[in-house]
Amino acid sequence: MRIQDIIEGKKAWRAHMARVRTLPKEYQIVYREIQKYLYKVGPVELTEGTGLLSGIVDFFEEGVASGKRVLDVTGTDVAAFCDDLIKDSKTYADIYQASVAKEVSKAMDKSMDKTRK
Amino acid sequence: MLENLTEMLKGVLEGCVLEIISRGETYGYEITRRLNTLGFTDVVEGTVYTILVRLEKNKLVDTEKKPSDMGPPRKFYLLNDAGRRELVKFWEKWEFISSKIYELKENIQ
Amino acid sequence: MNFWEKITGSDMTKEWKTFQSRARKLPKEYQEAWKRITTNLWPHSDMTGRNLMPILDGVLGLLEETAADGQSVQEVLGDDIEGFCAALVGEEGAKSFRDKWREQLNNTIAKKLGK
Repeated sequence: MRIQDIIEGKKAWRAHMARVRTLPKEYQIVYREIQKYLYKVGPVELTEGTGLLSGIVDFFEEGVASGKRVLDVTGTDVAAFCDDLIKDSKTYADIYQASVAKEVSKAMDKSMDKTRK
Repeated sequence: MLENLTEMLKGVLEGCVLEIISRGETYGYEITRRLNTLGFTDVVEGTVYTILVRLEKNKLVDTEKKPSDMGPPRKFYLLNDAGRRELVKFWEKWEFISSKIYELKENIQ
Repeated sequence: MNFWEKITGSDMTKEWKTFQSRARKLPKEYQEAWKRITTNLWPHSDMTGRNLMPILDGVLGLLEETAADGQSVQEVLGDDIEGFCAALVGEEGAKSFRDKWREQLNNTIAKKLGK
């Protein structure tokens, strides 16, 4: 990664969080909890720019504009909202597990080769 | 309104949203309202939003942001060719499932 | 060889250094938690640590957010750090942990919104 990318990434992130802070309090609370949950679950979209997260802010801004309460917009089961959002996304845990499986099968192949010789 | 439709509705909601978009360019809030007036009162905007995100990710819709007279710009959704094909497949599946379920119901022996 | 030695001297050094400097800005108890998490995760790492970097990035983000919120580490991670780490890399028990995270999310929101 070039330094410039890192700096621009940081700038984009700051701009993103500044937008979050312009939301009404209750929207901010829900946004932050969602973000924490996503950090734990680790869908790959998280590090592919701020698309997933800024999409949520766009969506929340529309909710604010139409005068709705945050839970009327997300539904009371916010976790279900998050899971639906990343339903067919790979997570870093998935990728990690796949890499482990690959290592194991490589090791198996190696030992098979040895026994063959 | 029947209670707890959500589970059963889950699998077909995506098809419903595709169908609504196929009638012409629309946006999240309008889609939700359409589903609500249809009788699916439990469907919230968040549910529709997650479906729209997936449709966009799977490249079944084209999107365009347009300024709105109230609040932030709105994202409009329009079905593309892949989306139209997906919608045809959805209705085929639905015809199959619903005809089989009716068959089951009518032929209790 | 421990995790840090493994990381040092590899092409991951720079990324790892950035992580460590971010971690140093955390409150004391969060720094402790970060240390415990990385120690727990290191047996999961391949030779370069590359497969853990995105996961560590997520954890650090989580710690930074929650520290800024003034939550206690225990509230965030629970008692079972080992289990938490296993869940992070999708090991056995990950599913029940994710259920816990789900519940935690909804409960925290309900509490903070005063419902």
